[in-house]
Amino acid sequence: MATTQENPLLEGLPLAQTPEPCALVVFGASGDLTRRKIFPALYALALRRLLPESFAVLGAARSEWTDDEFRHQMEAAVREFGRDEFRDDVWERLAGVTSYRSLDFADDQAEDELIAYLEHVDGERGTEGNRVYYLAVPPAAMPTLVEELGRRRTTEGWTRLIVEKPFGFDQASARELNQSIWNHFTEEEVFRIDHYLGKETVQNMAALRFANGIFEPIWNRQFIDHVQITVAESIGIEGRAGYYEQAGAIRDIFQNHMLQLVALTAMEPPSDFTADSVRNEKVKVLKSIHTPGPKHVVRGQYGRGFVEGIEVPAYREEASVDPNSMAETYIAAKLFVDNWRWADTPFYVRTGKRLPRRETTIAIQFKRAPHPPFAEAAAEELRPNVLIVHVQPDEGVSLAVGAKVPGVGMKLRTVHMDFVYGGAFQVEMPEAYERLLLDAMRGDATLFTRADEVDEQWAIVDAIVAAWKRDRPAFPNYAAGTWGPPSADELLRRDGRSWRHH
Amino acid sequence: MAETAAHLEEWTGEDVSLAEVEAALFALRRESCEETEGPDLRTSVMTHIAWVPPGWHEAAWTTLEGMAERHPSRAVLLVPGGTDNDDELAARVQVAAFALPGERRHVAAEIVELRLGSKRARSPASIVMPLLISGLPVFCRWRGRPPFGERELEELTGLADRLVVDSREWDDPAADYPRLAELFERVAVSDIAWRRTLPWRVGLAHDWPEIGSCEELTVTGPAADANLLAGWLRSRLDRDVSLALATAEEVESVAADGRELQKPPVEPLSSSELLSAELETFGRDGVYEAAVSACRRERP
Repeated sequence: MATTQENPLLEGLPLAQTPEPCALVVFGASGDLTRRKIFPALYALALRRLLPESFAVLGAARSEWTDDEFRHQMEAAVREFGRDEFRDDVWERLAGVTSYRSLDFADDQAEDELIAYLEHVDGERGTEGNRVYYLAVPPAAMPTLVEELGRRRTTEGWTRLIVEKPFGFDQASARELNQSIWNHFTEEEVFRIDHYLGKETVQNMAALRFANGIFEPIWNRQFIDHVQITVAESIGIEGRAGYYEQAGAIRDIFQNHMLQLVALTAMEPPSDFTADSVRNEKVKVLKSIHTPGPKHVVRGQYGRGFVEGIEVPAYREEASVDPNSMAETYIAAKLFVDNWRWADTPFYVRTGKRLPRRETTIAIQFKRAPHPPFAEAAAEELRPNVLIVHVQPDEGVSLAVGAKVPGVGMKLRTVHMDFVYGGAFQVEMPEAYERLLLDAMRGDATLFTRADEVDEQWAIVDAIVAAWKRDRPAFPNYAAGTWGPPSADELLRRDGRSWRHH
Repeated sequence: MAETAAHLEEWTGEDVSLAEVEAALFALRRESCEETEGPDLRTSVMTHIAWVPPGWHEAAWTTLEGMAERHPSRAVLLVPGGTDNDDELAARVQVAAFALPGERRHVAAEIVELRLGSKRARSPASIVMPLLISGLPVFCRWRGRPPFGERELEELTGLADRLVVDSREWDDPAADYPRLAELFERVAVSDIAWRRTLPWRVGLAHDWPEIGSCEELTVTGPAADANLLAGWLRSRLDRDVSLALATAEEVESVAADGRELQKPPVEPLSSSELLSAELETFGRDGVYEAAVSACRRERP
């Protein structure tokens, strides 16, 4: 397409948002992620006409499906998981450019055929040799697939690699995987997904901090008492025992989403909002997080309990879970970011399964007013100011402030001022995968994690896991439907603080 | 409004003061809070003034019905000549609460319709100013042809951050565009007719480089859309482009030097969606201003 400089009619038109022609190849296309996230996201993009004019989707997996069977499966997935009303004309448009190939990733001949088929698609659909390879495959299959694709890459068009989490199992395996990727692809061609970064409210953290003059001057150890980050899930492992037994909460959530939320909260203002500027600042935070000692980390595993009034089994009673499993379903930690801005300010983080409700929040608790000139009794219900970023659900921001209760005398209470996303802007929030897929097709890596970030995240996790090898906690240690083990409360109580529970 | 709102509170009054209107708004908000599980959220993003001569009354309300939940605001509809008494101010005040998807809470929108006696309509700014939400942008939607040079337009554009018109609502847009262009230095202007031409502009841009030497644009459609497209080509290409117009209610076809464009595969937007898009735009649109400035009446 002609550039604005060449074509004066393009100025002011929303054309730059549409990616260049390309073929999207989803490896692991028979998996749950493709059904639940990738195809519903593609449909939403198709509905809003955000996909390129010349576009093709190719699903690839071991399942023996025909093109029609794959389309049929994906149509059902879009109907079930899509956020928009299903429209036949939009689906027909997407289905018309969708095909499927059954293959074993290690099979040379099948890979050759796949590449030949993509070249055929280039001719038929005008995708110009541009490729987005979406690797939604288990970690064990990743190196082989990367090697096979790398060996077959051509010089025609561009290539981008979207890599799903988990990215490695520890620092050593992540480095190995990075090395195998770099044998064939540059870092600029790699898009490591952490879907939390695609969420509007996570991005709003940057807007909140850096677009408002009132917050940044007080966003430091002088005014902030501590930060609490909660990623709570009320669900169990949902049939993912094979993965979860190996990963546990520390690899499933803490290593990626949780540490990214810490980085976004603590980072310095980037000079601009380009991929490298943002990621440079995030990696500085990750490097500054000092390894928490064993006393500062709590792990837990849920036993039987009640969630939303329904009795649920213990983790060890879930299908395919080892009855003596030591996998943690909960982790809480007290982290410190060792820099000028945050020295001695604790970041308390926690994540767990089978907690009382689904909630992801970042709560910035400010220090108390130094000397409120009110009688103690008048202010007994007054709590410190807290700025809460609600990532999900109820996306928005609220600020707890002290206010006078109307009436005679001076009685104070804490009230919340709420900003709810759906209330102030368009009601529907785009799904994270829509934004991330579109960004990858456009080559914008701002919301993807860079190799050095992943490396630092694993360094923190490896240190925690190494310490865990020295003891064997008595699991289960919290009942499903509660806020985690008592030792997690103790972690804050020692500092004279407590977790937010509402 | 009542059809889509989760609940609706209303107050009406004849021969009222603005203090009474403000008190009614406050009381309705309190009532609205009592009907739901928690207080309704009032997350206003702007004050939206609409100048609605009597003939436009129904259309204005229809547009608002589809828009309130998308732009929770205070909408102030000014209906000049809406009462028989020259000195009178009559009011209808609504607080409508809309459910937020996936949440228990509601978001509240406020609508204040003020019917102005003919004397009161001469100085609308003084009526609107007490009702503006401080610190938020003010959008002024002018229904029909703005009375260029008249006091009411001067006053309202003086306090608005953005004037929104729809030049399809004018009898002879080509004659009025030069008058509209005189406002550009004072207030940012949006034209819903311009928004409607977007799919066609995208299509014409795709015709590059052939379009670069275009001499004649042929449009079957409304005069406003056709003139804006021609003005846009003249200003962007910096060349003279003549316009051949066959009037129709919607744009049916566009051709550049006889090459007919494929009809854009986009469904027409509703009036609410069109206005909604304009209310998300801040600042001046240089491309639009240049297009308007390049519009002219074609010789018959």
